[in-house]
Amino acid sequence: MAKQLITFTVNGREREVAVEPHWTLLETVRETLSLTGSKEGCGTGDCGACTMIVDGRIVTSCLMLAPQANGRDVTTIEGLEAIGSLDPVQQAFIDAGGLQCGFCIPGMIVAARNLLDDNPSPTLDQIREGLAGNLCRCTGYTKIYEAVELAAERIRGSA
Amino acid sequence: MPDDTKTRESTSADGNGHTAVGKRVTRLEGAAKVTGKTVFADDMKMPGLLHVGVLYAPQAHARIKSIDTAKAAALPGVYAVFTAADLPDYKRNDSNRNGLIFPDKEVLFHGQPIAAVLSEDPHIAEEATALIEAEFEPLPAVLDPVAAMENDSPLVRQPLVDVDRSEARGHVSVETEETEQQDEPSNIASRAPFARGDVAAGFAEADVIIDRTWRTAMVHQSYIEPHSTIADYDASGELRVWTSTQGPFHVRNELAQAFGLPENRIRVTATEVGGGFGGKIYLTELMVAALAIATRRPVKHIMSRKDDMIAATPAPYTHIELKTGMKRDGTLTALQARLIYDSGAFPGAPMLAGCILVGGYYRCDNIDIKGFEVLTNKVSVGALRAPGAHNATFAIESHMDMMAKELGLDPLEVRLKNAVAEGDLMPSGQAYPAIGLRECLEAIADSDVWRRRREIEATPNRGVGLAIGGWIGGLQPASAIVCLNGDGTVNVTVGSADITGSNTTFQQITAEVLNVPLDMVNVETGDTKTAPYAGMSAGSKTVYTVGRAVKKAAEDLRQQMFELAMKRLEVEPEDMEVANCQVQVKGAPDRAMTFKRFGRLSTNFGGPFPAIVGRGAITARKIAPSFVAQAAEVEVDPDTGGITLHACAIAQDAGFAINPLSVEGQMQGGASQGIGIALWEEMQHDEHGRLLNPNLLDYRLPTSRDLPPIETIIVEVPSEEGPFGARIVGEPSIVAGAAAIGNAIDNAVGARVDEAPITPERLLRAMSKL
Repeated sequence: MAKQLITFTVNGREREVAVEPHWTLLETVRETLSLTGSKEGCGTGDCGACTMIVDGRIVTSCLMLAPQANGRDVTTIEGLEAIGSLDPVQQAFIDAGGLQCGFCIPGMIVAARNLLDDNPSPTLDQIREGLAGNLCRCTGYTKIYEAVELAAERIRGSA
Repeated sequence: MPDDTKTRESTSADGNGHTAVGKRVTRLEGAAKVTGKTVFADDMKMPGLLHVGVLYAPQAHARIKSIDTAKAAALPGVYAVFTAADLPDYKRNDSNRNGLIFPDKEVLFHGQPIAAVLSEDPHIAEEATALIEAEFEPLPAVLDPVAAMENDSPLVRQPLVDVDRSEARGHVSVETEETEQQDEPSNIASRAPFARGDVAAGFAEADVIIDRTWRTAMVHQSYIEPHSTIADYDASGELRVWTSTQGPFHVRNELAQAFGLPENRIRVTATEVGGGFGGKIYLTELMVAALAIATRRPVKHIMSRKDDMIAATPAPYTHIELKTGMKRDGTLTALQARLIYDSGAFPGAPMLAGCILVGGYYRCDNIDIKGFEVLTNKVSVGALRAPGAHNATFAIESHMDMMAKELGLDPLEVRLKNAVAEGDLMPSGQAYPAIGLRECLEAIADSDVWRRRREIEATPNRGVGLAIGGWIGGLQPASAIVCLNGDGTVNVTVGSADITGSNTTFQQITAEVLNVPLDMVNVETGDTKTAPYAGMSAGSKTVYTVGRAVKKAAEDLRQQMFELAMKRLEVEPEDMEVANCQVQVKGAPDRAMTFKRFGRLSTNFGGPFPAIVGRGAITARKIAPSFVAQAAEVEVDPDTGGITLHACAIAQDAGFAINPLSVEGQMQGGASQGIGIALWEEMQHDEHGRLLNPNLLDYRLPTSRDLPPIETIIVEVPSEEGPFGARIVGEPSIVAGAAAIGNAIDNAVGARVDEAPITPERLLRAMSKL
């Protein structure tokens, strides 16, 4: 099948890649850009392990075709970490014990970061609602709620 | 630590006299996990890699008439197609799921792998599987395990020979075995009877008898990372495997037997395991290794979610008939049970553990328990966190509430009155060592949800329920190596897969023994060629067994330093201690040798000391069972049958919580899985044995919207052998959920659902509203 060229911004850098039209955004980022932090847990948009931020909104990148990302601004888990320091959400997940096997964690953190960008002081119910698209099988979510609360507190404190 | 950083804060002992264990410590590899740098098997690439597409059987039971691969092989980009006839030689055993790559005559379940396509492009490999033309002659599909036990039932399969239960033994150690004797062909794969006393006399004594049948659904481990394996085989005859497994040495040993290779020529790396819960031990490795041996190319196989749901090894459907009797004063007088575990098309159902637990929580003089492992034409089952336990517990813990309710007794008091303690016997006759079941019951009484019980019960359609659970745990030998580096830091090497923080716990154990800050210690899981032996990370035994080996290795390292310091410090080892990253004379800390000095003297050119390597190896023979008590608050919508979980608390005996942060995580994670089993999770098959819901939308896992924060209470009744008194931890938290929630629902609306998951439909039927 003929490949087509797409141009998009990934973690602040403009990238041009040749994709087959049926490739997903997830596959494109993992295979052509070697950004393997985003995971495929289901391929049907149910688990959220592939969550990315596209133009400020979270998407399940296993359901978005690569050509649809043309011209868009994409942030993956690799884009959260500034050189030398973790994003407060990443640090809070470590400190609160909000991770076990870690497979869902990149998508979970991206979703949590987006949640806090939209609402810096979420209630517990808003956290539970905001992360409902991201499945975690290990933690039972309790320490993930605590991690998001801790991150929110730290981000507010440093603002 | 460098000698010149004396100002650095040293660890100080807490009230328990511990410096590193018993503390909340964050994950050693946390930064890699939160940045996406952790490498899972699917993240690995290598030159010449071939991807596998698998054709799964479209029928539950059929004779294979022909498989024509010509069209698939002709698709551009296809490297090769393999059926049973094309595989390299291996020790095939049709009686075991793990002994058979592809069948050549008969398909036994919908989803059984029957052929594979290799391509450099994973899409082409997948596409080509659809071009394989297979013809089948349908055979009767036996799907109901109860009907399958009848003498006139059609047979699920050819008779079993040489059943391999080595994997199941890694999950639980009980002093008894199932019997596989078969006088004539039958679908019953094994049986296990347990009896003591006289149940008829026991029931005659009872003031209340409850006799009921309980069912639990087939459920899937649903790790978020599907099964993922890469294998490569080189011209020298060395097999290399990277796989998401909980048991790298088990994989190695099985592959060695299958291919007749020496164990030292197989190198298995347990890649980061993206969730296992008992389901990731040994499944696709045999096929992938065979394809690598056949092609001499690296071969990668990643299951799709659908494939994982139809073709991996979920937990069994069970049918449990239970009759129990109790006296007015709350004494349990008799317990009779018939447990039927649906094993699917191959043996491996954890029926034995169910038998042990159904009669193992409470003292009872008269028991009669019969277990059956029954074959059906469904996917064969495997382990799920405390395999076999939640099913039996749903039955007995529902009965305890029902009997207490009939007699007007308090559900917590009735359990305390009968709960087993040290010296009491399991149904197998084995005596319990020191356990903390009663302590867990006392602790849960203090939870927020149980203390609000009266207030909750006074609210319409709300209720609180309680249940206990437990797990015996597995036992396996283990070993560890601790090396002193030239700068005085320490490396620990183990062979156990770290799934949820065991290496962090080993870091704490080592730091405690050497009395150094945590960052002086690093821990690595090696592969089967570089690491000392460890059993599989299953049966909740990793910290209990490998942790002991790590402690012993660190103590050995310490002793070696003491002996090497004798000449310079001019005292005997008994008069030395470790503190502030040095070996010092007790009472005279200025007479000391720093770890860094030991490091230099044992590694530099011309160094006078031998390299300092601590070795720890143990065998584990004493079980250290762990129990839980769980309470839940639910609200039922009387019109729709909808159930909302408002609160949940769990108390667990951890023996000694080396890392309370991690222990709480295990308790919350297991509890959430138990809640999933209670309310949502069910693999549903149609009348042809096809799975109807092979995805994570229709197979409903607990989401954040479903689960409130889970309160944890850690109870500590030390084990005899575990490091610092730690006992098994990982699994027990899944066990009580279904019963606790069933009891809470009955408390809320006075209706008893005897089938898990307790769906709105089943609840409305129990409420006579449907």
